[in-house]
Amino acid sequence: MSKATIKFFEALARHGHERLLKKTNGTIRFDLERDDEVDHWFVEIHGGTVRVSQQNSDADTVIRSDNAFFDRMLRGEAKPLPAWLRNDITFEGQFRLIILLERLFAPPPGARHPRAAARDHRRRG
Amino acid sequence: MKNELVRILDGNIFVLSDGSGDIDAKPAVPCGYFSFDTRFLSLWRLTINGERVSALAVDDPSYFEVRFFLVPGAPTHYVDAKVSVIRERSVAGSFEERLTVLNHSGEPAEFTVRVDAACDFIPLTMVGQEHTPLGRLYQRVEDGRLHIGYVREKFRRETVISTTEPAQVDEQGLTYHICIEPHGQWTTTLHARGLVLRPDGQDIRDHVYPGRMRHDTARLQDDLRQWLGEAPQLSSDWEPLERTYRRSLVDLAALRFSPLTLPTEPLPAAGLPWNATLTGRDPILTSMQVLPFVPELAVHTLRMLAIDQGAALDDFLDEEPGKILHEFRYGEMVAFEECPQAPYFGAADTTPLYVILLDEYERWTGNADIMREFEDEARAALHWIGEYGDIMGDGYVWYQRRNEKTGLENQCWKESPTAISFRDGRLPSLPRATCELQGYAYDAKIRGARLARQFWHDPAYADRLEREAADLKERFNRDFWVSDGEYYALALDGDGRQVDALSSNIGHLLWSGIVDESRAAKIAEHLLGPRLFSGWGVRTLARGEGQYNPLGYHVGTVWPFDNAFIAWGLRRYGFHHEAGRIAEGIIDASRYFQGRLPEAFGGYDRELTRHPVQYPAANSPQALATGAPLLLVRTLLGLEPYGEDLVVAPALPERFGRIELLDIPGRWGRVDAIGTHQEAEAVGR
Repeated sequence: MSKATIKFFEALARHGHERLLKKTNGTIRFDLERDDEVDHWFVEIHGGTVRVSQQNSDADTVIRSDNAFFDRMLRGEAKPLPAWLRNDITFEGQFRLIILLERLFAPPPGARHPRAAARDHRRRG
Repeated sequence: MKNELVRILDGNIFVLSDGSGDIDAKPAVPCGYFSFDTRFLSLWRLTINGERVSALAVDDPSYFEVRFFLVPGAPTHYVDAKVSVIRERSVAGSFEERLTVLNHSGEPAEFTVRVDAACDFIPLTMVGQEHTPLGRLYQRVEDGRLHIGYVREKFRRETVISTTEPAQVDEQGLTYHICIEPHGQWTTTLHARGLVLRPDGQDIRDHVYPGRMRHDTARLQDDLRQWLGEAPQLSSDWEPLERTYRRSLVDLAALRFSPLTLPTEPLPAAGLPWNATLTGRDPILTSMQVLPFVPELAVHTLRMLAIDQGAALDDFLDEEPGKILHEFRYGEMVAFEECPQAPYFGAADTTPLYVILLDEYERWTGNADIMREFEDEARAALHWIGEYGDIMGDGYVWYQRRNEKTGLENQCWKESPTAISFRDGRLPSLPRATCELQGYAYDAKIRGARLARQFWHDPAYADRLEREAADLKERFNRDFWVSDGEYYALALDGDGRQVDALSSNIGHLLWSGIVDESRAAKIAEHLLGPRLFSGWGVRTLARGEGQYNPLGYHVGTVWPFDNAFIAWGLRRYGFHHEAGRIAEGIIDASRYFQGRLPEAFGGYDRELTRHPVQYPAANSPQALATGAPLLLVRTLLGLEPYGEDLVVAPALPERFGRIELLDIPGRWGRVDAIGTHQEAEAVGR
């Protein structure tokens, strides 16, 4: 599996709670495909705390993606919902956890605070 | 009405056809069978022995059913038909059509019945424009069914058409060669399902939980009966009010759709055909208008929008943490990120309005659990106002899109490109801070303070919000007041200038409470003055302004929902007579639309046109417009929760005579309100 993926799940275990709502509960399994193998990552979210393991257990939501595409999502370069609509990834299970994914992945690179964007705009004229 | 399409709907699933039931979509004719933001049928044409059919009568027994009584040929040549057709269509989750062909002659007769079917699968947002598909269309006959589909990379949409009677199915449609007894009849049922497919041929919606609700006509029928049974009963001496009230309740039921996330908590789609989707502003303002009648829409709206609340900075989506969404779409352009509605957050009003709805919901229902359930979301929304809404760092709420390609330039309810302008018609620089946004921010802080004190046990936060609100009100009354016109500027622009056009936005300031008492009379005078008031209602932009156009979407037309909020605000400041005049004008206008108020109608002077001129591309039914008569009833009866009680303080123009509203739900249980021209009674039961 890719280094970026491992780093992401390690960081998620440590800091995931910071971006989640306290009332979020559920389990998500990521099935990441590369070559002929599938890696499993099992994420349990309970009362805002996050635990990560590599067990292949039943989950409320299962997300299946090509590992390279998953890496694009976690860097914020691709968005899960449009990817689902165009079948670049598949979801099974609780739909509300799908929407939550965007809270776990990095924001798009270069995203700006509206104040900074307005300043940029003024400077450009 | 000329060229009026026949429309049936089940929330965000709907069919628009011509008067005979045929669908033949063109950019100028936005008909079709639509579901999941996609057109699933763009051609659906019936012929009998090669001849097109014409309608003798059309009957719509419910919002999801329509019956066409048809004969072959043009009606002008119709003398004595030997054959007629009954076409019964319903849309309850999917498209179903029962065709009955009747042989009126004394001889057995042979007929060729043909249904041509095709589809372009274009996303709803592209209907009305020329569109070149980037993917590939296909047709296939399999097991007696016609599959019409569209593929682009792994993206796939498909319509499957089946028939109960045997047909000769080809790639362009279905043909029946039938023989009918003398005075006999023949029937078949056609079914078209719109599928959102994965590469393995399964529907992606069948793999998410809870997923789709099963709909059928019996269930919808029951549901409508229950819906109407639970709403308060209204009677009035003025029949048009009763009619538009009933029509509004039915249309509101019709517009409800079940999001995949919360299928048992339906909320209103914004409007047909253009906005049959989840938006932020429309369900919030609609739920607010209908709180005294059907309070559950508010909690469904609050819950759904909370799930999608912004969590990160994203320039393409114009998203910031705590922001409430503008619009969600599921079509092809969103799937390929050519459009940002996944969801798009380009609205500066939805976030304060979210807090306002939350508080108003508690005032009516007394449901304190909901106030605690959404504490985090409401705090995030309040934080958004001060942090991300305040682009200039001066305490006002501003907007400026970061998605400069496909984002919205104007992020208030008047979102068309020329909606915000100076008197002379010039467009202001960016960012822009429209006046009503400041009213909403003020109201959100006042209400947020109440929630913090009463439910979140955070008096320090409440004090802070109240200080900020008081400060905002003071500065607003200084900075936005156009002294030579004596009204509030439409906006401030990026250079700090007052955008000085006179607009209906000043009416929204009244319901927010940001207007200084000393200035309210001037505002009421402008709203009912000849430049803003058309005789039917308040125009979005005053006659005489550079951009004014009586048929301009946000620059001259009259919007029923806008007027309902204005009337409500006028009452808040004690202008009962003025509120009554607006209510009377809008309800009077509803008579020309069979009780179904459109999104907007022309801003012409009433004396000039005599009847309200429909805006050509108006959404109808539209959620906000269906809510308008209900908020007007609340306003006329002066319904206001006060502690555990409902205060009733009617102030009706003479024309309404008497209004009785029975079984108003709320924290008091059920209460009746009765108003006559002068009296008031409230009866607790």
